[in-house]
Amino acid sequence: MNNKLDFLQELGNIGASHATTALSQMLQDTKLELTVPKARMLSFAEAANFIASREEIVVCIYTRMIDMIKGDMAFIMPFSCAVTLANHLTGDDREQLNEIGESALLEVGNIMLGSYITALSLLSDTKIKPTVPGIVIDMNGAIWQSILAGAGVTEAVTILDTKFSTAELELSGHLIFIPDNAVFEALYQKVSSCWKPEETL
Amino acid sequence: MTEVFVNMGEIRVLRSTGVLTTVGLGSCVGVSFYDPITKVGALAHVFLAESRANSDRDALPGKYADTAIPALIDLAVKAGASRERLVAKIAGGAHLFSNITPEHLSVGHRNVKAVIEQLNIYDIPIIGKDVAGKRGRKMKLYVDTGVVIVTIIGEEPKQI
Repeated sequence: MNNKLDFLQELGNIGASHATTALSQMLQDTKLELTVPKARMLSFAEAANFIASREEIVVCIYTRMIDMIKGDMAFIMPFSCAVTLANHLTGDDREQLNEIGESALLEVGNIMLGSYITALSLLSDTKIKPTVPGIVIDMNGAIWQSILAGAGVTEAVTILDTKFSTAELELSGHLIFIPDNAVFEALYQKVSSCWKPEETL
Repeated sequence: MTEVFVNMGEIRVLRSTGVLTTVGLGSCVGVSFYDPITKVGALAHVFLAESRANSDRDALPGKYADTAIPALIDLAVKAGASRERLVAKIAGGAHLFSNITPEHLSVGHRNVKAVIEQLNIYDIPIIGKDVAGKRGRKMKLYVDTGVVIVTIIGEEPKQI
């Protein structure tokens, strides 16, 4: 099992690197610090407790993968960071998000999630079809709960969480990938033949 | 005052004093039971509509609507409530990600429907509700009075 989690972690690492590179380019090459994603297999109760600050207001851009490869992917950041990012993108200086800021954030999220998914697709040589992404501003806990319920998570779940931050802009966020269990097996079969854990890093 | 938090799939019961709180109801539905005479309060955080018979057998009863309602009755009665006096208030069942599914197919919509159906089956009157919409909720049941306060971000808290 560890082998599989390592494999998934590697996939997440590559996907999230692509996503944050895309963000960095949109921010005129601002350097982003990226944590190595942790792939974790969680029980339902652990998944329920995965989010610590449930009442915190966050901005989430979310998409679901629907074709051959199924799963859920979200880009989540604290509200204050979302405002900073929106201001930076639109050249504004607001304390709240307006419609233009929201659509800029949705577009950034769309590009980031798209880069992540494209990397997964190339690695696995499989076509991945994501839904049109949506943006939600709400309580962290409500968003997290809706993602888990929408994904139909009832028992064990694998979660890949990558944190990124940049001191230059006081920006931080999470990229979360929840692969469907069956898909994970299929991906592993497909890629593991050419992937050897001891050779990575 | 004691504040007891109710996480996804859980049911908690208090008597006489304290508050039962559940934070982050998105598509989930918070179901509170109350007996005004004995001041027994119970709160469930229901995650999905129907339990899976074959898998997930060790699930917490509060996780699914069809197991949560009988479990709530059982726990409230064990804590001293009268089955006949129990009244319910419900909140949640929102549809946050409207980019994914239409409202009538959303998890939130199905959850609310299932909870109401179950409450009807067990003949528990619903005396307050704040459901559906697009926003997440926080729900608090004050056990000394039976008052339920629902909070949505950017709005005044409302009493149901």
